[in-house]
Amino acid sequence: MEERLYDLIFIARPATPEEELKKVIHTIEHTVAEKGGKIEKTEHWGTRKLAYKVAKHREGIYFYYQVRTNHGELVHELERRLGVQDAVIKYQTVRLDEELKRQKKLSHKREQRAARRPRRITQPAPATEQQASAS
Amino acid sequence: MTNFELHLERQEVMSDEQKQAPAAPAPAPAAREGGDAPAPTPAPARREGHHAGPRRESGPGVGRREGGPGGPGGPGGPGGPRRGKRQYFRKKKVCKFCVEKMDFIDYKRADILSQFVQERGKILPRRMTGVCARHQRWLGVAIKRARNIALLPFAGSAAGVQAPRAIEAPKA
Repeated sequence: MEERLYDLIFIARPATPEEELKKVIHTIEHTVAEKGGKIEKTEHWGTRKLAYKVAKHREGIYFYYQVRTNHGELVHELERRLGVQDAVIKYQTVRLDEELKRQKKLSHKREQRAARRPRRITQPAPATEQQASAS
Repeated sequence: MTNFELHLERQEVMSDEQKQAPAAPAPAPAAREGGDAPAPTPAPARREGHHAGPRRESGPGVGRREGGPGGPGGPGGPGGPRRGKRQYFRKKKVCKFCVEKMDFIDYKRADILSQFVQERGKILPRRMTGVCARHQRWLGVAIKRARNIALLPFAGSAAGVQAPRAIEAPKA
């Protein structure tokens, strides 16, 4: 299976003690390493207001990971582990690589177009200037 | 912002109706009536029956002239300078994502996404925001993802969530 890139966000309860958060983070890192995945990016967004109530909380501690892996089971395993954790109230995994591929393709196209365009623009530009000066 | 966009939308509707009734070059209210009734004959009784605005009752001739600028387009707004032929200046809407050359709409950027969502969490239609079809499609996906992870509301704003809280408090 080709390599895939996933976004993983999870929200912990706002009043979770540090150690427990560390435990959760550790489990994730451990699981990823175990299944031969790679954590590309880690961001801790800290406590944020939730847009709606989740498990009777209006705030949550956000954690963001970007994981690259060959095994789809890893995602399954991660979600299972997150679901088991009491401190975690919500999690979401999103597959990103296809969209990023599309983005690359489009930006490539755009660059090509931009490389072609200058000639066209330079021709009409002086003409309009002449008109402007004549009038 | 939302009000202004609603206003824009209204103008669009207006101009469509104007196209339907090209025989009436008169200002908007008259044109609208013309759109309702296929033959835009100046028959006062019929007009009042259709759309009984209080200022219309002074008589069709006067009402037409004076009702024009204020018309159903509402508070005039950007209508200003060109009074005669077309009073509705429609701002040309450009897709914000195209301008910024975004090939990917990130669902994590709630600050951007929230501009394309009503206060209550509804996704704004393209005709209001001017987003191109392709970007609207991506935008919809991004907004839905953001909703899933509580970055954006499904329904009801922060205020809407707070209202039930006030009710809960005395219970507990």
